[in-house]
Amino acid sequence: MKKLVNEEEIIHVAKLMKIELADYNMHIKKVQKMLEYFDILDEANIESEELIVQETDIDKLRDDKHVIYDKKLLKFLKTYQETYVKSPKLS
Amino acid sequence: MNLGISAFNYVNSIKNGDFTVEEFIERSFERIKKVDDKLHAFLSFNDIALEKAKGIDRRISSNQKIGQCFGMPISVKDNMCVEGTKTTCASKVLENFVSPYTGTAVSRLEAEDAIIIGKTNLDEFAMGLSTEFSAYGHSKNPWNIDYVPGGSSGGSAVSVSANECIASLGSDTGGSIRNPASFCSIVGLKPTYGLVSRFGLVSYANSLEQIGPMTKTVEDSAFLLNMISGVDHNDNTTIDNKNQDYLKDIDAGIAGKKIGIVTEMTNPDGLSTSVLNATNDAIKKFEDLGANCEQVSLGMSKYAVAAYYTITSTEAGSNLARYDNIRYGYEFDSSGFEFNSYISQARSKLGPEVIRRMILGGFVPSAGHAGKYFLKALKVKSKLITEINHIFKKFDYLISPTVPIQPFKFGEKINDPVSFMLVDFNTVTANLTGIPAISVPFKIEDGLPIGIQIMANHVDEHSLLQAAYALEKTVSLPEVEI
Amino acid sequence: MAKIGLEIHGQLTKLESKLFCPCKADYRQFEPNTNICPICMGIPGALPLLNRTAVEKATLIAMALDCKTPNKIAFFRKNYFYPDLPKNFQITQLNVYGNTSIGWEGKILVADKEIRIRRIQLEEDPGRLIYEGANERTKVTLVDYNRAGTPLVEIVTEPDFETPHQVREFLNILSDLLENLNVSDPGLEGAMRADANVSIEGGSKVEIKNIGSFHDLEKAVHFEITRQQSLAERKIEIVQETRHWDDGRKITVSARTKEEEAEYRYHLEADIPWVRINDDTKNQLQTHMPESISSKKERYVSKYGITPQVADILASDRYFSELFENAKNETNAKDVANMITTDIMGLLDTREKRETSKLSPEHLSDLVEYIKSNKITRASAKLALDEIIKNGKSLEQIINDLDLGHVSDKEELSNIITQVLNEEAKAVEDAKLNPEIVNFLVGKVMQKTRGKADPELTLSLLKKSLGFD
Repeated sequence: MKKLVNEEEIIHVAKLMKIELADYNMHIKKVQKMLEYFDILDEANIESEELIVQETDIDKLRDDKHVIYDKKLLKFLKTYQETYVKSPKLS
Repeated sequence: MNLGISAFNYVNSIKNGDFTVEEFIERSFERIKKVDDKLHAFLSFNDIALEKAKGIDRRISSNQKIGQCFGMPISVKDNMCVEGTKTTCASKVLENFVSPYTGTAVSRLEAEDAIIIGKTNLDEFAMGLSTEFSAYGHSKNPWNIDYVPGGSSGGSAVSVSANECIASLGSDTGGSIRNPASFCSIVGLKPTYGLVSRFGLVSYANSLEQIGPMTKTVEDSAFLLNMISGVDHNDNTTIDNKNQDYLKDIDAGIAGKKIGIVTEMTNPDGLSTSVLNATNDAIKKFEDLGANCEQVSLGMSKYAVAAYYTITSTEAGSNLARYDNIRYGYEFDSSGFEFNSYISQARSKLGPEVIRRMILGGFVPSAGHAGKYFLKALKVKSKLITEINHIFKKFDYLISPTVPIQPFKFGEKINDPVSFMLVDFNTVTANLTGIPAISVPFKIEDGLPIGIQIMANHVDEHSLLQAAYALEKTVSLPEVEI
Repeated sequence: MAKIGLEIHGQLTKLESKLFCPCKADYRQFEPNTNICPICMGIPGALPLLNRTAVEKATLIAMALDCKTPNKIAFFRKNYFYPDLPKNFQITQLNVYGNTSIGWEGKILVADKEIRIRRIQLEEDPGRLIYEGANERTKVTLVDYNRAGTPLVEIVTEPDFETPHQVREFLNILSDLLENLNVSDPGLEGAMRADANVSIEGGSKVEIKNIGSFHDLEKAVHFEITRQQSLAERKIEIVQETRHWDDGRKITVSARTKEEEAEYRYHLEADIPWVRINDDTKNQLQTHMPESISSKKERYVSKYGITPQVADILASDRYFSELFENAKNETNAKDVANMITTDIMGLLDTREKRETSKLSPEHLSDLVEYIKSNKITRASAKLALDEIIKNGKSLEQIINDLDLGHVSDKEELSNIITQVLNEEAKAVEDAKLNPEIVNFLVGKVMQKTRGKADPELTLSLLKKSLGFD
């Protein structure tokens, strides 16, 4: 990531991650530093590396059974008239 | 009654009738009252703990069957769900979140009659290595309260180290159990990825993290691991440990074993003098125990920290997306707001370190900055696994100091992100590769603890605990003074 | 020539549970937010648990659409924020690290045109938004998460369609196929949704979303082609964009550009290991795959001598083809098939009617047999059918209850005929001049016997009585 991180990009990412930032400049500096450190990955010579991932067999998966969740989950959530969850207006 | 006893000793004492569960719990709460204002290990307490203790005493006197824990007080890091308890992850955005269920590791302990005495402090959402990033205040190192206890499971480490409870459950994503264990002079074990169910653990980096025991002795960690490990149908990533008994033959010793000293993790330039000396002492002790120690290079570890932060910031960015304060969270009325602006404001209550990771997590996998950085990190991870598998063909264990430095003072590391990241240098490899790793308290130097890390191959905890036990028996460390 | 591609989302309604948790897959009967659990609500610490049967059924679909299937499947996260998405990401599939979705590169024949299937993937449905209040100012957005986590199969085609009609045909064929495989009931509300992309010669591709029904899809595609053609004629550039179908005005409108800026940061879902689907499993699934519609049709025609038209109707409908299979035997197949298509389909034309119907295969074979052996007339059979559907009583019993027995006793019939001839003296007279009037008299006999008279016997006896031989 040789190119510099600028304010426009920070603003774009903050919007993407849905976080209102108080001080863009502070973030620009710190993110820049970390991304520069990540450049070390370029030296790792891993282009041809196969991905090693966790695997399982299809027969280990969950059975298709309906099980009622018996606790009143709504009690633990923010509810509107005890039945719905309310959302702010969508634009 | 000595509160500084191990789990084993506790159980024997209860069985012998030296004291009752109620008495021990009462004393523990007294101790907590005495020291926790200063140390701030706990975020919340279980107000029915005493009642539970009385219940267990009643069952003991009427000769009913009692679970293996016999009512021992155990604390749980506040990023693990325990039904009916506030589970804040040390964040303001979950200030009012009460968990509707109990996670597997905790419920397995409760099924064995452990008493969860309270939830402990952590770096917010487990992101950090000093507990300085908790939104509810710092926890202090019981060995010297001007110093950090390590993190992110700082509160857990403090609660055990200061004898506020017998043991604790922490979580480890990049060293978060081992680092505070080392800083507080207790034992901390990160199991093989998948050995302990993550059901109930609030996700930060779900491809790397594990719940693990934080205890006073190695034996205690084996004892807890026996109870919490094994396949869980609530977590598709758990693996079968075939009912291993981790206590069996734990004292078998390590004569004839081959130990690899990881060159990159023991580089004199990267360690403080005291840690370097302690490491050399430990190597001598291993040799005295009959093991063969030899330098071994883990070439890919050079890239481990970069790969670690790339992967964790991406996963964190995704795992924390659900905290939009719509379904649960904290008090903040959404009337009159538009959706995007409401949730952006609500989420701005996340702490600065978390926000930094969110921003990174937005950059790194995004198409604009070539999501190939994330792919690179995955490939580094894969190559690291290949390298470690190769190394374990020759060696039984790998060792290093747990942390390259001793505990530091509050505020010392917070401002330089890169030097901060590098504190994790020795611990992230175990998370990236999934292998088990344990920190054993080894030395107190200038009043501050130093721990030694031992790593073993995948699902080789039984052997790992033998090595840790052997090392532990070579040292006799002072009690914490507080 | 237009180029149209489709992106179809089909719910696997025949599953018992959701894709990643044991809540019910079919959420339709539940009170709001009562078909939820920590997993589908994205409660912290709850982990997705993949449904094995969902993987099997999705693989069946992939095989039925002639797709290549992988030996390992993986899941990915599509990250974006929306109130109906409890985790603010959707677990779905991608093919970025090799082919890891449930199927790719398949094909299906739609009226002689081969439509290529680009890929099939498994993913979860979000919850539903409900708007309460008419006033713009006081309108509240409410969320019901009952549907969140319902298993979906996304089927993406290449832009091989050329006309809206082909699109409609394809959707019908696909619906029948999904129903026939017993993976989905496409008739359920919201069970199948589709988006389209449309382009014309030399123009950019335009996506059309927010289409409510398949009927609307055909209209939307038609409208969009016309819109693009009109732009092209006037040499105006066709902008590559996403448009929404406005059902009120029956037009497509430009969607707000925020949709194009969506940035999903796709990455692997680490809570679900890659699932190995070996050849054994695939072979097992293949052998248990329900017979395809075309194969059924062929078999009906060649083995049972059923006409292609009837076979077509029967084979395409799972409910009735099952009824047919269970009711038929060596000798009555053709009659059973005809009875189903002629009489029963009209009576059981909705899901509700089929669900409450008490008609069994035994009833059907009895009816056919009784008609054949003249124990009951076709007309009476129709009455009996109504009763059977309502109360499920045996045919024998209904014949007794309603007195539907066949009147084929010559003497009894003759008496009734005599009665009719006496009552209808004028008609008798007219019949002598106009032989067609006999049918009117047959009708009267049928009336008197409430349809039970054997029509042929009645006609011949009448003719005899009137002296027509």
